[in-house]
Amino acid sequence: MRFRPGKIALIAAVVVSYLFLYLPIVHIGLASLSRNSSFPYPPHWSFATMSRLLGNSLYQTALGNSLLLGVLVATLSTALAGAATIGLMRHAGRKTTLFLALFIAPLFVAEVLLGISSLIFSGLFLGLQGNLGSAVLANVVHCFSYALLIMATQLYRYDWRLDDAAMVFGATPARTFFEVTLPLIWPGLLGAFIVTFIMAFNNLEISFYLLGATPTLPSVAWGALRYGVKPELYALATCVNLVVLCVLAVMFVLMRTGLATFGHRPERERAAV
Amino acid sequence: MSYISLDGVSKQYGAAWAVDRVAMAIEKNEFVSLLGPSGSGKTTLLRIIAGLEKPTNGRVLIGGEDVTDLPPHKRGVAMVFQEFLLFPHRTVRENLAFPLRMLKLPKTEADERIDWVLGILSLRGLEGRYPNQLSGGQQQRVALGRGLVGRPKALLLDEPLANLDRELRQEMEVEIRKHQTALGIPFIYVTHNQEEALSMSDRIAVVRNGRIEDFAPRAEIYDRPKTAFIAQFVGRSNRFVGVLKREGATAAIDAGAVALATADRPELKDGAAVAAYVKNEKIRLRTPETLRALGANALAATVKHVILRGAYAEYVLTWAAGEMIASRPRAEVEFSAGDAVVAHWDPADVDVFPEKEAAA
Repeated sequence: MRFRPGKIALIAAVVVSYLFLYLPIVHIGLASLSRNSSFPYPPHWSFATMSRLLGNSLYQTALGNSLLLGVLVATLSTALAGAATIGLMRHAGRKTTLFLALFIAPLFVAEVLLGISSLIFSGLFLGLQGNLGSAVLANVVHCFSYALLIMATQLYRYDWRLDDAAMVFGATPARTFFEVTLPLIWPGLLGAFIVTFIMAFNNLEISFYLLGATPTLPSVAWGALRYGVKPELYALATCVNLVVLCVLAVMFVLMRTGLATFGHRPERERAAV
Repeated sequence: MSYISLDGVSKQYGAAWAVDRVAMAIEKNEFVSLLGPSGSGKTTLLRIIAGLEKPTNGRVLIGGEDVTDLPPHKRGVAMVFQEFLLFPHRTVRENLAFPLRMLKLPKTEADERIDWVLGILSLRGLEGRYPNQLSGGQQQRVALGRGLVGRPKALLLDEPLANLDRELRQEMEVEIRKHQTALGIPFIYVTHNQEEALSMSDRIAVVRNGRIEDFAPRAEIYDRPKTAFIAQFVGRSNRFVGVLKREGATAAIDAGAVALATADRPELKDGAAVAAYVKNEKIRLRTPETLRALGANALAATVKHVILRGAYAEYVLTWAAGEMIASRPRAEVEFSAGDAVVAHWDPADVDVFPEKEAAA
C-alpha cells in the first residue's frame, strides 16, 4: 500500500482536530482516576478521588439539584415547544415565519443577560425567590427556543394529512395524536428532550443568577475556583461526561438501527412485488 | 329527501371564495364525480363533506342529519386520499383495522371484516407488510380497503388514481365502481380527469371557480354541455367563432370560411357573437368531391398528420381558418397525411354558446 502525502496530511489533520477536541476531557478523566491528580502522566490508577466525591455531601446535593433542574426544564420546554411546533406546522400560513422567528429569537440573547433580566423579572414581577423553581423558568426560555428549532427540523417532514386520515376514520383529536402523530414524531421530541436536558444540566450563566443558595454542579464548580480546584471536581466532571457520553451513544445506536428514523421507514426493505 | 345534501355551502379563504353557494343532492346508491380543473374548489368541497374544513356558510346533511357542526370523527364517512396516506408505522392489517378499532367493533367481527376486505381487494398475503413495502397499486388498494372496511355512510375519494399509471388506473376504475354497486353507498369522487369521471359516475358535477357549473347524468354532461366551459372541458372539441343568424326552426352560424347549421337557440339573440363546439369524434371525413352536395357543416381540409390511438385515429386537419381534429374509428376508411378531405358533422352535434361566456 502506497501512502500519498495528501492522504497523510488529511489523516494528520483529522487526528489533530480530534486531539484538540478531546485531550482536555481525557486529561481530566485521567486526573480523576489517578493518585497523582495534578499531573497524571503516567497515571497511577486509584479510585481515591472518586470515593472522596461520593463522600462529599455538597456535590451530591448539587448533582441531585442539577438532575432535577435538567429533567424539569427538558420536560417543560419539550412540551411547550412541541405544542408550539405542532401549532405552527399544522396551521402554517403567511405569518408562520414571523411566529417562528419570534420563538427562536431568545437564542440570540446573551445568556448572562437572560440570567440578569430573568432575575429582575422574577423578583420584581413574579415575586419569586432565588431558588430552583425560578432557575427552571429562566432556563426554559432559551431551552424552549432550542427545542423548537430541533423539532421544527424534524417535524417539517411529517405529513399532517395523516392526522386528517385518522380523524376521518373515526379517531378523536386526542386519539389521533397518540395513535398516529406521536408514534411518528417521537424521535424529534426525544432529541429535543435530551439536548435541552444537557443544556439545562450544564447551564451556569442563567442558573447562577436565579438559584439563590441552591447548589447545582456548574455553580459548585464555579464556586470551587475561589477555594482552589479540588480533585473531586475532576471526578465529578468525569462522571458527568460519562453520563452524557452514554446518552449520546444511545441516541447514536437508535439512529443507526433505524429505530429512531423519522416517519416513513427509510427505504423499501424489500422490492415490492 | 336525498341521502347527502349540500345546502348553500360556501367556503371563504381570505377574500376568495373557494366554494361558492354549492347546492347538491346525492342519492344513496349513487356514484357522483366532482369534475373540475385544479384549483376549482372540488377538493375543498369534498373536505367540507368529510368535516375536515368547516364551511363559512351553508349546511351539510348526511342521512338526513345536519352534520355541519360535527367533527370528522363523528360523521361516519370514510375517505381515500390521492397520496394514499396510509399510516406508515402500521402494517397493512393494522391500517385496515384502524377504522374498526375506532368503531370499537368486537374482535371476531373486525377479523371477519378485514378478511372480507383483503379478499375483495386481493390483498391476501400482504397483511404483514408496511406501506413502504408495497407498490403504488397495492397501497391504493389498501387505502381503498381502509375506506370500505368500516362500512361508512359514504366514501369520499380525492383523486385516488392520480398517482397510478394508466393501465392500473383503468383496472382500478372498474374495481371501484364494482365495489360501489356492491355496497350500495354513495361514492363521491373528485377528479380532474374526465375519462375517470365518465367511466365510473352516474352523475357528474362540473366544478368551476368554486361553483357547480352543471350537475347531471354523465351522458348529458358529455353530449349536451350546458355551458361553454363544459363543452371545452369535457371531451375534446373544435371551436368555431361566428355570428348567429336565427332562421325559424334552425340557426346558422357564419364563421367566415365555414357555415354551421344547428337547431334554433331561442335563448340567443339574432346577430350575437357565438362560439360553436363540435366534438372531435362527431366530425366525419369524406372524399373531397362530396363537398358540393353537403352545404352547411362541411369544410374542405387537408390531412396534416395522423395520430394513431389504436382503436381510432386522430386526424389533424388544416383548413382555411386554422386547424381542427377529427377522431375516427380505424374500421372506417383511412386517410393519410396530405390527403384532401371534407370534414362534416350533424346539426345536432353543434353546441352553441355566447362568445363572451366562452372566452372567459
